[in-house]
Amino acid sequence: MNPLIAPPLPFDMKPRARDAVRDLKLQQFVGNATHLKDTQRGGIFGRDFGHDYDELRTVARDTKQYALDHLDELLERFITNAEKSGAKVHAATTGREACEIALNIARAHGAQGRAMSCVKSKSMVTEEIGLLPAFEAAGIKTLETDLGEFILQIDGDAPSHIVTPMIHKDRVATAKSFVRELGARYTEDPTELTMIARAHMRGLYRTADLGVSGANFLLADEGAAVICTNEGNFDLSVGGPPVHIVFVGIEKLIRGACDLAPFLKLLARSGTAQPLTVYTSFVRGPRRVGEHGGPKELHFVLVDAGRVGVLASEKRDLLRCIRCGACLNACPVYRKVGGHSYGSMYAGPIGAVLTPELERAQGNTDAGLANYADLPRASSLCGACYEACPVKIDIPKFLMHDRARLRERGLSPKSEGHMLKLWRWLAERPAMFRFAIRAVRLHARMLGSKDARSGAEHSWIKSAPGPGAGWTQSRDLGIATGESFREWFARRDNKSGGGR
Amino acid sequence: MRIALFTTCLAEALAPRALKATVLVLEHVLEHVLEHEGVTVELPAAQTCCGQPMLSNGLPADAAILARRMCEIFAPYNAVVTPSGSCCSVVREKYEALFARGSADHKAVVALAAKTFELIEFLETQLKIDPATLRGKTPSAAPITCHDACHLRGIHRHGSTAPYLTRACCGDVRELPDAAQCCGFGGMFSTQFPEVSTALGEEKLAHVASTGAATLVASDTGCAAHLAGLAHRKNVALRVISPAEALAESLGLLETGAPNGGNPGAPNGGNPGAPNGGNPGAPNGGNPGAPNGGKP
Repeated sequence: MNPLIAPPLPFDMKPRARDAVRDLKLQQFVGNATHLKDTQRGGIFGRDFGHDYDELRTVARDTKQYALDHLDELLERFITNAEKSGAKVHAATTGREACEIALNIARAHGAQGRAMSCVKSKSMVTEEIGLLPAFEAAGIKTLETDLGEFILQIDGDAPSHIVTPMIHKDRVATAKSFVRELGARYTEDPTELTMIARAHMRGLYRTADLGVSGANFLLADEGAAVICTNEGNFDLSVGGPPVHIVFVGIEKLIRGACDLAPFLKLLARSGTAQPLTVYTSFVRGPRRVGEHGGPKELHFVLVDAGRVGVLASEKRDLLRCIRCGACLNACPVYRKVGGHSYGSMYAGPIGAVLTPELERAQGNTDAGLANYADLPRASSLCGACYEACPVKIDIPKFLMHDRARLRERGLSPKSEGHMLKLWRWLAERPAMFRFAIRAVRLHARMLGSKDARSGAEHSWIKSAPGPGAGWTQSRDLGIATGESFREWFARRDNKSGGGR
Repeated sequence: MRIALFTTCLAEALAPRALKATVLVLEHVLEHVLEHEGVTVELPAAQTCCGQPMLSNGLPADAAILARRMCEIFAPYNAVVTPSGSCCSVVREKYEALFARGSADHKAVVALAAKTFELIEFLETQLKIDPATLRGKTPSAAPITCHDACHLRGIHRHGSTAPYLTRACCGDVRELPDAAQCCGFGGMFSTQFPEVSTALGEEKLAHVASTGAATLVASDTGCAAHLAGLAHRKNVALRVISPAEALAESLGLLETGAPNGGNPGAPNGGNPGAPNGGNPGAPNGGNPGAPNGGKP
């Protein structure tokens, strides 16, 4: 698997974050795209619902929460109804199992001595379970048909955003890749580039043995899947090949089409500032007698891969996530460090809280948080993600929750913990606390640097020890060294008159 | 009515002028705008830290100890007012989750949350002060711009400082581009991921520079220290003050341009290449005998 999104564990985020901050192209591409999408998101919600679309978010939150609270029942109902319509339903506890199920399906259709081929539409869960490497190892040639994913595939790159996977690249890089990998003529025109990819893909849809996709929603009442795309590639991947496999995390279940409307209203608006994605496709059962298109066999692979564990934990709200990507676009840290800094297919705020819970993050030691100890700390807790989330997941709360778990398990820097404990101990003793503040101010007065124009009452600390070094490597610390607030307050109280 | 000043430890250590300004503005409003008798602004001496650093860094039990202290200390008062957006949001939003629902502690933090306010919020929503009544005698025309603490989102006050200061004529309030984005401070995040924090701070400073304002009003002591410290290191001429200071200066309760908590001019004798050419000095030429000042 690609080490960009499946790095060796434990994962160290800091070097990647440092490199990303210095990468001017990444800063430009990711910064511009996220700002634009975030602004447009605000715009379209304002235009369509007035600036207060809180009610819609509440409905979506409660609807999804209802589904999670009744997951057992909905799973059963989905399986019954999907099988009734002729689809086959498989359950996979682990990613490896999910891949095995797919390989078995493929083998059942493989012709001796002929390599099989697969057309795949975009799916995060297949990234999560490592489907492509498993297919490649089994000799199944797989084509990513989402344009962004296709470009990443021919470049050996990995997605860095849930919705816009090649947000870290531009069309110049794409033009070069198409010349190199497809023998195309050089063009930077987006339409021409799209036509080159289209020409390359069209024939492959017709000859593929297998179609693979993810799903945005599973409808229990209908036994159907709903897939939202902008490129129509899903419809081709389900329409051409004789067999189609839908991989889907179990948290995608909702009651049925009756509950779908709020999510369709929120998903595309939150993700790409569109009222709806260009295609909203419903898949229910294989091709029926008299129908001309659609797969002869339709499989659903329901993937757990850590989700049941999340459901039983305090972080169960995370399963409400509909993968819209709005929190990534809104996040100041994501904008600066890009997706690959998170070492996971799920980047940004939701990735920071979700990744440690995923099966793959656990490694062999059942210690996802230990393997991704930097993620909960890589946030300023600004709350932009919570504000953007269409299903109201309080991501900052879960970041704080994970920070407490890190501290309990001794996975946070010890010196920092001791300092905070000392701070709290002092804070229980007002006289000593005031003395400590006075000591800081005195330190600044004695050792800080003064500017000609800042006067005798203000000092700048230019280098500090311990955790302070992180501050002073790029910033000075300004401290007012003159009369303290309390001295001033006492003085004017005594005079019971003006004075400042 | 008794109003308690919630100073916050960071402001006591770094920005005493913001606290002085808070007291002066509150007293001005009570005496001259509301003409209230018997309302006092008090400083509960035993207050220390609200526990935000512990809460944000995985030590909720330690934060709970300090939350209990806060409840006891502020129990006698009708309102608790602070110039710091983030400490305010901790009391308002975060304390509740530290205690079991129905417990005495839980009731106490809910009661404290209900009477704790950030200064501008207190003026606008509690005292219902029309900012137009806070216009100084000679309104400043100096360009300023405002950065709101992200934590004000939680109490639905993000973006509220600039309109209030505009209507109070605290200067020519310029719109800050991309105002919704965090400045990168984030408490200990600033030392844990210094490069990311700094990159965000630099972006914020670039937006501030683009407005042409030489004064930045930041509604949190942490954001202010981060941005002022970054500007100082980079020899960028920028004063960083609190909303309370902006109001107090405009009302003539504090001298404009005093150097506390900010960077009054380019170090190294000014930087002719810097935008705005350094700080030419107090725009209002100082104001030694502040009108309306002090108590009768």
